[in-house]
Amino acid sequence: MNESEMLDLVDESPEALYALLAEEGWGDGLPVVAPTEERVDAMLSGHRGSPDEILAVLPPRSGACTVRMAAINAVMAGCPPAVFPVVVAAVRGLARPEFNLRGVQATTHSVAIMVAVHGVIVERGGYNAGFGTFGPGNRANATTGRAVRLILLHVAGGRPGDGDASTQGQPAKYTYCFAENAPASPWPTYPHCRGVDSPSAVTVAGMEGPHNIHDMWSTHPGPILEKVASVMTTLGSNNAVMSESEFFIVLSPEHAQQAAAEGWSREDVQLFLYQHARVSRALKERHFAARGLEPPWMRSTDDPDAMLPITGRPEDIRVMVAGGPGKHSCVIPSWGSISRSVTVPVDSW
Amino acid sequence: MKIFRPDGAIAQPPHTLTPGRRVLAGARIGVLDNLKPNAGLLMTTVAEPLAERAGTGAPLVLTKNAAQPAPEEVLDQLRREVDLVLTGSAD
Repeated sequence: MNESEMLDLVDESPEALYALLAEEGWGDGLPVVAPTEERVDAMLSGHRGSPDEILAVLPPRSGACTVRMAAINAVMAGCPPAVFPVVVAAVRGLARPEFNLRGVQATTHSVAIMVAVHGVIVERGGYNAGFGTFGPGNRANATTGRAVRLILLHVAGGRPGDGDASTQGQPAKYTYCFAENAPASPWPTYPHCRGVDSPSAVTVAGMEGPHNIHDMWSTHPGPILEKVASVMTTLGSNNAVMSESEFFIVLSPEHAQQAAAEGWSREDVQLFLYQHARVSRALKERHFAARGLEPPWMRSTDDPDAMLPITGRPEDIRVMVAGGPGKHSCVIPSWGSISRSVTVPVDSW
Repeated sequence: MKIFRPDGAIAQPPHTLTPGRRVLAGARIGVLDNLKPNAGLLMTTVAEPLAERAGTGAPLVLTKNAAQPAPEEVLDQLRREVDLVLTGSAD
C-alpha cells in the first residue's frame, strides 16, 4: 500500500464522505462506499495479476488506470467483487484506439458509455438480462456501469465543464449497463458475431440512451422492424449526418423470436434495416451542409429522390437480444462514426 | 480511518505549447480548421491579416475532424510548411 494514495477521513458517515467528495471535486453526486484498504483488497481478491498493472492511460487527464485504481472506483460504486472482471475488461476496451475515448469524453454531445455484458459472467456476476435490464433494481448492472463512470470522472478527468464538455449530458452518464439475454435469443451470442469466442465478454460503445420501440400488434417481423427503421432515421442524431456510424438494436426476446420463427437470421435483420432505414438526398441536403461525412459512393449520389441508407454498411447495425417478456425493443443511436464499439473477452478469475 | 484516493497518478505529463514567436516578420501562417461551424471563418479571418503583416503570402489552411486527433500527414505538412498555427477554435 502506498500511503501517499490515501486520505484521512473523520468517519465513514455519508456526511463525511460527501464533504470529502465536494472538497476534492470527486463523485457523481450520489452516495459512495468508502474505498478502505480492506474493501479494495476484497475487490482485488480474485485478480491473479499485479494490482499495479496499468490497464490503460485514460484521456483527457492521462490518468493511469491501474487494476487497483479500477478496484477503488468499483468499491465506491458499490460493485460486488464478482463483477470486477467486467469492469477491468471494460477499461481495456475503452482504451482501444478505435473507441476514441478522448473524443467521447470531451465532446459537446451527450454520448454515454454503454456497457453490455455477455456470456457466463452474466449469471456468475448476478447480472439482470431479463425484465428491466437497462433499468434499476439490480446491483451488478447498476454498479458496473457506475464504476466505469466513476473511473471516467476520477482517473480520466471527465468532469462536466472540464474534461467533459457535454452540453446537456444525459441520465445514462450515471450508469449504463445491461446484459445480453443469450438463453432467450434465437441467434448466436453477440460476441460470437464480432469474432470473440471467450466464455465471457463485454462490449463498450459510445451511445445515446435507448429509444423504445413498441409493437404488440404485428405478427410478422417486417412491421416491427419498420418501426425500428423509423426511429433509426431521426434527423437529430449524429447517425443521420455521419453515414458510417453504428447503431445498437436491442430486440426483446419476443420480437427476436418472431423474426427467427419466420427464418430470419441476425444478418437478415441487419439487411432489412439497412434497406429500410433511409432518408432522401433532398432531406439530407436540406439539413446537413456537407457530404464529407458520407462514404464516397453515397457522396456521389445527387438525385434528390434517391433514398440513402442511414448507415453505410449493414454490419454496423449491431443486433442483440436482451430484456424479459413483452413487446418492447429499443434503438440505440451512437455518437457517430468517430467512435467504434469494442467487444473484448472478460478474463475468468 | 483512511481511504484511497480514486484518481491516481498521471501517466504522461500534458503536452506543452511551443513558445510563441517574438517576431512575426517572415513567419509562415497556418490554420488547422476542425470544421466546426465558424471555426474556419474565425481563424482564417485572423490568419489572413497576420500573414499579410508577416509578408509570407496566403495562410495554409488544413482541416481535421473535431472529434479525432489530426492525422499525422496533416501535422507533418504543418511542421514542414508553416511556422505558426492557429487552432483550437470551435463553434
